[in-house]
Amino acid sequence: MQTEATLAQSDVSELDLVKRCQAGETEPFDELVTRYRTRVFGMIYNMVHSEQDAWDLAQESFLKAWKSIGRFRGQSSFYTWIYRIVMNVTIDWLRKKQVRGGGAEFDDAIQLREIDPASRTVPKTEALPHQAMERDEIRARIEKAIGQLSPEHRAVILMKEIDEMQYHEIAEALGCSIGTVMSRLFYARKKLQSLLRDVYESV
Amino acid sequence: MKAFEEKWTAWLDDQLSGRELSEFEASLPDKAAAQAEKADAKKLSELLKRELTAYPLKNEEFFSHQLREKIVQESGEEARERARRSPTSSWWTIPRLLWAGTASLAVFLICTVLVVRQERPAEESQYLTQILNARVDPVVSPNATVSIFEVKQDHATVLWTEGLQSLPADYAAK
Repeated sequence: MQTEATLAQSDVSELDLVKRCQAGETEPFDELVTRYRTRVFGMIYNMVHSEQDAWDLAQESFLKAWKSIGRFRGQSSFYTWIYRIVMNVTIDWLRKKQVRGGGAEFDDAIQLREIDPASRTVPKTEALPHQAMERDEIRARIEKAIGQLSPEHRAVILMKEIDEMQYHEIAEALGCSIGTVMSRLFYARKKLQSLLRDVYESV
Repeated sequence: MKAFEEKWTAWLDDQLSGRELSEFEASLPDKAAAQAEKADAKKLSELLKRELTAYPLKNEEFFSHQLREKIVQESGEEARERARRSPTSSWWTIPRLLWAGTASLAVFLICTVLVVRQERPAEESQYLTQILNARVDPVVSPNATVSIFEVKQDHATVLWTEGLQSLPADYAAK
């Protein structure tokens, strides 16, 4: 996470960028996209487990952000604001997918094929083929376990554990109370602990 | 009053302190089991952080480029939509044409009724009709004026003539 100083600096310039976007300029929005595209994409990828879908959903989220940037009042950080859009788009997509696919949205065969030489999961140096394969298997197990959570529980656990967001930030991004966030975290952790115990015990 | 789930989550994330912490820990039936579960949760957290962080976005520049194009496209479509809905548009929609036609017809009918009512001929005596039918020759009497005064309630009509040179021989009521 950012330090307070860098956070304050980026907040000031971020607000300036947003104001210019609200005046109709597109270049400042490009700058905002550059700042957040990797984090947004990474978060969506962890939610949907598909690079192509994550790409499309990230595009859709930023496009929605552009269309509604006039309504951004600066009461929260831009990051929290755009996260709310990202979560709405992604959770909505997951719900629709679950309805279409009858709830079975995870496919082992699809997951195991994703051994990409350029992927982060394969370190550029040192890693031996069997180590790389082992890491891919672990990742596949984790993704499968996360895939068994409801979209809301998925969002909460990823925002807390991966993005290290505070309870109130998560609540703001999801449009719910802090109590709801904590309650969802409780159940999401319990479920993941039961599904992944053997993984984190053996690693 | 926080629910147990909320307190447990706060406790796992080391967000409880002071009296709240001691009260919560005192309420746990098996503190050793709770501590073991807390350790489990930490391991899970470490595993998730290690394995799921920062999945790379490949072709970052293409991502931005594609988004820019979509924004331009959307902005163009919005502008076209605004222009289409604009009141300065020269193309009238079919409902508008229908409304305009109906309104014009109604105005025409109202005007027609009013004009027909106003032009209904008043009851005139045969005498007055004969006088009005007479002609004053502008060559013979260029300054001649003829005025008619009619008082309907008294059933009286006055014909006032001025500047006549001579009255034609046949100018008389029959």
